[in-house]
Amino acid sequence: MSSIETLYVIFFITGFTVGFGHCIGMCGPIVVSMSLNLGEKRILIPNLFYHAGRITTYGVLGGILGVTGAFARVTAGIANLQKGVLIFAGLVIVIMGLGMGGWVYMGKVFGDDYRSTGIITRGFSKLSKVQSTSAYLPLGLLLGLLPCGPVYTTLIASARVGMEFQNTFKAALAGAGLMVVFGIGTIPALLLVARLASMEWLRYREGIYKIGSMLMIALGIYFIIKGIQY
Amino acid sequence: MLHWLKSLCIWILLYSLTMFIVPLQAAEIGRSAATNCDVHHGSCIQTLSNIQVTFEINPKPVKAMMELNFKITLKGKQPEASPYIDLGMPGMEMGPNRVSLQPMGKGTYQGTGIIVRCPSGKKIWIAKITLPDIGKVEFIFDVIY
Repeated sequence: MSSIETLYVIFFITGFTVGFGHCIGMCGPIVVSMSLNLGEKRILIPNLFYHAGRITTYGVLGGILGVTGAFARVTAGIANLQKGVLIFAGLVIVIMGLGMGGWVYMGKVFGDDYRSTGIITRGFSKLSKVQSTSAYLPLGLLLGLLPCGPVYTTLIASARVGMEFQNTFKAALAGAGLMVVFGIGTIPALLLVARLASMEWLRYREGIYKIGSMLMIALGIYFIIKGIQY
Repeated sequence: MLHWLKSLCIWILLYSLTMFIVPLQAAEIGRSAATNCDVHHGSCIQTLSNIQVTFEINPKPVKAMMELNFKITLKGKQPEASPYIDLGMPGMEMGPNRVSLQPMGKGTYQGTGIIVRCPSGKKIWIAKITLPDIGKVEFIFDVIY
C-alpha cells in the first residue's frame, strides 16, 4: 500500500471515529432537524443526498487545497462564508425546534393543517416543506462549509498530499480524494442519529417532544452565538 | 407508562449524542485546561530520560489557522530518528495533525504546521513530542483565534 493509500485509510478511519464524537455534536442537530421533517421510511435517500452534497463540498475544498497547498489563504478566504453558514445552520435548528414544539405551525412537520399567515410563518412553512429529496443536496453543499476542526485537519493533509504531485490534476484529485474518504467515514454516525430521530412512535410523544424541541432551540441559539463569535 | 419511559430513554440518548457531546468535550478540556507552556513569550522546557527538551513556536503570538514554525532542541542523548509533533486538543478528537521535524544540527529540529481553529471556542492545545525509541513529552498551551 502506497503512502497516499495509507493516508486514505487513516482519514477514513478518522472520519468514522470523529463521526461518533465531534460530528454528532456539530452536524447531529442538523440531521435530526432534517429527519424530523421526513417520514420514518424516507430518511435514507434524503440523508444520503445531504451527505453527498456535504462531501462534494469537502471534495472541492480538498481539490483546491491539493492544488494550491495554501491552507491559511483558502480558509481565510472562506471564513466569512463559514460564519454565515454557522448562523444559518443555527437558524434552521431553531426554526425546526419551534415547529417541533408546536410554537410555530410548520405544515408537514406535524401534519397538513398548516395555514400560512405572515411573512415569517410563510418562510418557516417553505423551509419545513422541503421534502423533495433533491433539495437535500444543495443543503448539504452549503452546510459542508460549516467550520469544523477535524475538517480543517483533513484539509491540511489534503494540502500536503497535493504537494507530492507535479501534475495539477493529480494533486487536485489526491486532495479531493482525501476529503471525500474522510466525509464518507463520518456518514454512519450521522445516519444513526437520523434514524433515531425519525422513529415514528417517538414523534407522537408530545410531552417528550416539547422537551426535545426546547433543547433543540437552545442548541440552535448556541450555534448562532458561536457563528457570531466566529 | 413503559412506552413513555422508553421514549424518554431514547430522547436522552439522542440528545446526549446530538447536544451534549460538544459541551462535554469542552468541559473535558476545561478540566485539563492547565497549560504548562506559554508559547507566546519564549520557549518551554521539559526533561525526558535525562534529555532536556526545549519547545518553541514562531511567530509569536501563536495564532490558529496560520503556518507556524515548530522548533525543538534536545540536550543530551539524541534520538535515532527525527522527532515529530502530534497536535491535538485535550479531550477532543481533531484528527491526525502531525508536524514532521527536520534536523538542523546541534540537537535542533524544525518543521512547519498549522493549529486549526475549533468552533467550540476552546483554545487549549497540546503538542505531543515523540522522541523515537526514547519516549514522549507533552506541552499544553493556549493559542489565539
